[in-house]
Amino acid sequence: MRWRYVLRTIGALVVCIGLTMVLPIAFAIVYRDGSELALIKAMLLTIGIGLGLFLLFRGPENSVISHREGMAIVALGWLAAGLVGALPFHFGETFHSFVDAFFESVSGFSTTGASVLTDIEVVPRGILMWRSLTHWLGGMGIIVLSLAILPFLGVGGMQLYKAEVPSPVPDKLRPRIRDTALVLWKVYLLFSVLETALLMFGGMDLFDGLCHTFGTMATGGFSTKNASIGHYNSVYIDGVITVFMLIAGVNFSLHYLALLGKPSAMLKDPEFQFFGGIVIVFVVISTLSVFKAVYESFGESFRYAAFQVVSIVTTTGFATADYELWPALPQCLLLFCMFLGASAGSTGGGMKCMRVMVLIKHGYRELLRLIHPRAVTPVKLGRRIVPDDVIKSVWGFFIIYLGLFILSSFLLAAMHVDVITSFAAVAACIGNIGPGLGSVGPTDNYSHLPAAGKWLLTLCMLLGRLEIYTVIVLFVPEFWRR
Amino acid sequence: MLIPSKRICCDTHFCFSGLGRMDLLKELGGSSEKWFLPTSELLKKGWLNLRIIIVGAGEVGFHIAQRLAYEHKEVVVIDKRAEALRRFAELLDVQIIQGSGSSPSVLEESGIRGADTFLAVTDSDETNLVACLFANALEPGIVKLARIRDEDYTRHWPELVQKSLDIHTVINPEVEVVKTIEKSLTVPDAEHVSDFAEGRIKLVGLRIGASSPIVGIRLQDLRQKTGELRFLIAAIFRNERLIIPGGRDRIRAEDLVYFVCESEELNEVLKIFGSKADPIRNILIVGGGNIGMRLALELEGRQYHIRLIEQEMDRCNFLAEKLNSTIVLHGDGTDRELLEEENIRDIDVAISLTGNEEANVLSSLLARSLGARRTMTRINKFHYMPIIGAIGLGQIVSPRLSAINSIILHVRKGKVLSAVSLKGEEAEVLEAVALESSGIVGTPLKDLRFPKGAIVLAILRDEKSIIPDGESVVHPGDRVVILSTRQNIPRVERELMVKLEYF
Repeated sequence: MRWRYVLRTIGALVVCIGLTMVLPIAFAIVYRDGSELALIKAMLLTIGIGLGLFLLFRGPENSVISHREGMAIVALGWLAAGLVGALPFHFGETFHSFVDAFFESVSGFSTTGASVLTDIEVVPRGILMWRSLTHWLGGMGIIVLSLAILPFLGVGGMQLYKAEVPSPVPDKLRPRIRDTALVLWKVYLLFSVLETALLMFGGMDLFDGLCHTFGTMATGGFSTKNASIGHYNSVYIDGVITVFMLIAGVNFSLHYLALLGKPSAMLKDPEFQFFGGIVIVFVVISTLSVFKAVYESFGESFRYAAFQVVSIVTTTGFATADYELWPALPQCLLLFCMFLGASAGSTGGGMKCMRVMVLIKHGYRELLRLIHPRAVTPVKLGRRIVPDDVIKSVWGFFIIYLGLFILSSFLLAAMHVDVITSFAAVAACIGNIGPGLGSVGPTDNYSHLPAAGKWLLTLCMLLGRLEIYTVIVLFVPEFWRR
Repeated sequence: MLIPSKRICCDTHFCFSGLGRMDLLKELGGSSEKWFLPTSELLKKGWLNLRIIIVGAGEVGFHIAQRLAYEHKEVVVIDKRAEALRRFAELLDVQIIQGSGSSPSVLEESGIRGADTFLAVTDSDETNLVACLFANALEPGIVKLARIRDEDYTRHWPELVQKSLDIHTVINPEVEVVKTIEKSLTVPDAEHVSDFAEGRIKLVGLRIGASSPIVGIRLQDLRQKTGELRFLIAAIFRNERLIIPGGRDRIRAEDLVYFVCESEELNEVLKIFGSKADPIRNILIVGGGNIGMRLALELEGRQYHIRLIEQEMDRCNFLAEKLNSTIVLHGDGTDRELLEEENIRDIDVAISLTGNEEANVLSSLLARSLGARRTMTRINKFHYMPIIGAIGLGQIVSPRLSAINSIILHVRKGKVLSAVSLKGEEAEVLEAVALESSGIVGTPLKDLRFPKGAIVLAILRDEKSIIPDGESVVHPGDRVVILSTRQNIPRVERELMVKLEYF
C-alpha cells in the first residue's frame, strides 16, 4: 500500500470539506449569531490540515489505485471528515467534550441523525447549518463528490466508488466514473432545490428550508427544531417531506433514468417494487393499528403513520409523532424497518432492500431445491441472475451486520444502558436512522449515554454508512501486511 | 407461349393480351370478352412458366420442391452439397445447380431473372439473408421467402432486414412448431388442433380409446345419437392409413379421428368422443434448445406448471435466467430416476424437443410408460414418421413440417386462406373462397359429383359458420373448408372449380 498516495488523496478530500464551510459562515454572518469566528477558525484549520497532507505527500500523478488503497482512502477519509467536521462544534463550544462533537459530526456525515444536543434551538444558526450540511455532503457521499470535482481521482475512481457505494450489483451510469458521479450529484442537487422551494412555499424561511432539505434528501434526520418536523404541525410540510424521503430512499440511478424519460425502468425495477410494496403494506398496517388506538380520525392516523414508517424505512429519522406511545405491532414494524433500510444506490442506510431480497430469494431457492433436487434455480432479481459470489457476499454481510449488532448491543449493555435502549441505539446507529426506542426514542437524544458508548456508536455509524466491509477490513491484520 | 400483359391480373387468373391466339383462349374456356384465364390450367398445359428458385437442398427444400414440382412448376434447386442434390435429381423433376446460394453468379445461372419466387431455406440464417440480398439485387421484384431461425433477426425484422432486403415473408420453423404445440395443448387429449375462419371452426384430431362410447357406431347413426350438436368426421387414420369416411364406416378403438366443429361447442363434442376433459396443467419439456425455450416462454404466465429438463449445465443456467416460473432441471430426459423424482405420473404432457430424435423417441416412450398422460415428440427425419404410430408414441411435431406448411401457404398466395397438413403430408385441409363460377356453388352437396378422397368440412358465410350435411348449399362468396388427400388436390380444384390458387 502506498501511504503517500492514500494520505495525499485524503488531504484533497479534507480541503474540499473545508471549502464547503463557506455556506454556514455565510449564514452566520447574515444572522450575526456569534458563530462566525468559530466557523472561520474551523475552516482555516481544516483547509490547513488538508493542504498540509496534500503538499507533504506529493507523488506521481494519475497512478492506479489498488482495491486495498481504495478501501483505505474511503475508510480513513470518512474518519478524517468526521474529525474535521467536529471542529466547528468544538470551536463553537456547542458541547462540553470532544467526543460529543465528534459523535454529532459523524452522525451528520453518516446521515444517521442521532443527536447529543439537548436543546437544539439555542445553538447558533451557523453551527446548525453546518450540522445539516454534513448530512447533505455525506448523503450522496463525500467520495462521490470528490470524484465529481477532483479530476486526478478519475483513474482509480471505480475502486473508491465501489468502496463508498457498495451496492451488491453496482451500476455505472456513464462510461466514465467521473461522469457517473457528476450525474448522481446533479440529480441529488435537482431534488434538493425542488424540495427547498416547496418547503419555503409551505412557510419555512431559507435557513429552515435548506436544513430540512439536507436532512431529507440525505435521509439524515437532523432538524433545527427540538420537536423535529412535529414543530410545524403542518399537513403540507409533512406531505412534502414524506414524498422527498421516499424519493431519497430510491436508487438514484432510477431517478436519473426517469429524468431521461424512462420512468418505466423505475416501475420495472424489482428492488423498487419491493421497497414500494413494503412501504405500502407497512403504512396500511400502521395506519389501521393507530386508528382509534392513538388518533381519533383516520386522516390523522394515516398522516402520522405514513410519515413515521417512511421516515424510519428510508433511515431518515425525522419525527412528527412519538411512536413509542403506539401499540406494539407498528413499533415492531418500525424496528424491522431499521434493519431493512432503503434501496441500494439511494442515500438511505440499513441493510438495503436489495440484500434482503437476495436473502429471501436464496432462502426460497433452498426450499425449492428440497422439492426438485436437480433443479437449476439461480437467484434472480428481475431478469438478471445474481451471481453466486454476490449471494455469498450478501450472506457474509448479513452475518457480520448481525454479529456487529449483537456485539455492540452487549457492549452497550455492559455500560449499564438498559436492554431496549442498547438494542435500539445500536440498530438505529448501524442502520443510520437516528432515533431508536427506549431512552433514545424520537423524543429523546443520545447525550445521556456514557462516553465509551458514544465512541462505540460513532464506529457503528461509520460501519453502517460504508456498509461494513470497507471499515471492517481495517481491523483485519491481513490488511496491514505488506 | 402466351405472354401475360401483367404478371398477375387478379388473385386467381392471368390476364392476357395477344389477340392472335384466340384458338388457345377458346380451348381454355375463354371468349373474346373474357381474357382472364385460370392459372392452374395454364401451368398444366405448359403455356405459362412459373420459375421457383429454392436455395437449400435439405429436408425442407426437398418437400417444398416435391410439392411444387407436382403442381407443374419449374423448380430450380441450388445447394453446395452434391450428395444432397443427387436425391433431388433422382426423385424429382427439378433442375439442380451445385453451388453456393449466396453467390451472385450461381443465382444468375439459375435464371433468377424472370423467376417468380425465391425461397431461401438453408440451415444457415446468414446464407439465407445473403442469398435474398443478391436475389433482390438481380431481380428486384421477385417474391422472397427466407427461413430465419435466430430470434435476434426476427426481433429487428421490420427496421433492419425487411426494408433493406425486401423479404416478403420470414419463416421461422421454431416459431411455427411452437405455435402448433401451443394450439394442440388447448385440447387436453387431442393429437392435432388447427383453427379455421379466425378460430371459429376447429379441426381436432383425437385418438379414440377402447372405452369411448362411439366405438363401433356407424357414422350415419352417430348424428341421431348426438342430436343438435353439429360436428363432422373429416378423416380417420387407421394403421397409418388415411380413410375419408362415408356414412357406413365405423369408428374403431385406436383410430385417430379428425373432426370439425364450432369452437364454442368443442367441449361438448369432446364429451361425445369420450375424451377426458381435465385441462392440462403439468407440462414437462425435455430439451432446452431454442424450441424448448421458446415454448416455455410462450406457456409461462398461463395456467401451466412447466418443468424443463436440459442436459448441459451452461444451457441450464442460461435458461434459468431467461425463464421465470419454469423449473429448470439439470439432467437427461431418458433418466428414469429423474423422471420419477419429478413425479412423471402427474405430468399431463411430456414434450420431447431435443435435437436428437432417437433420444426424443426414447424419452417419450419412457415418459408414457411411467404414466405421463400424453406425449409429444419432435421428429425431424420424415422416414421415421410411418413407424411412430407402430411404437405407440402418440403425437409428433416437426419444425420442418411446420415450416413446409407455412411456406407452401405463402407460395400459394391468392384465395387460399389457410392450409394444414395432416399426419405428415398425406392430406391437406384448405380454406378457400367459392367463386361464382365455381362448380360447387348452387347445388346441394349430396348431388355434387364429389371426388372420393375430398370432403367439405365447413361453410363460412358472413359471420355464420355451417357444419354441412348433404342438404347444404354453397353460395357464391362463401368460404369453404375442404379436406383432400394430396393426390386429389388438383382434381378437387378442377372438378369443383373452387380455384385453389397456385400463383
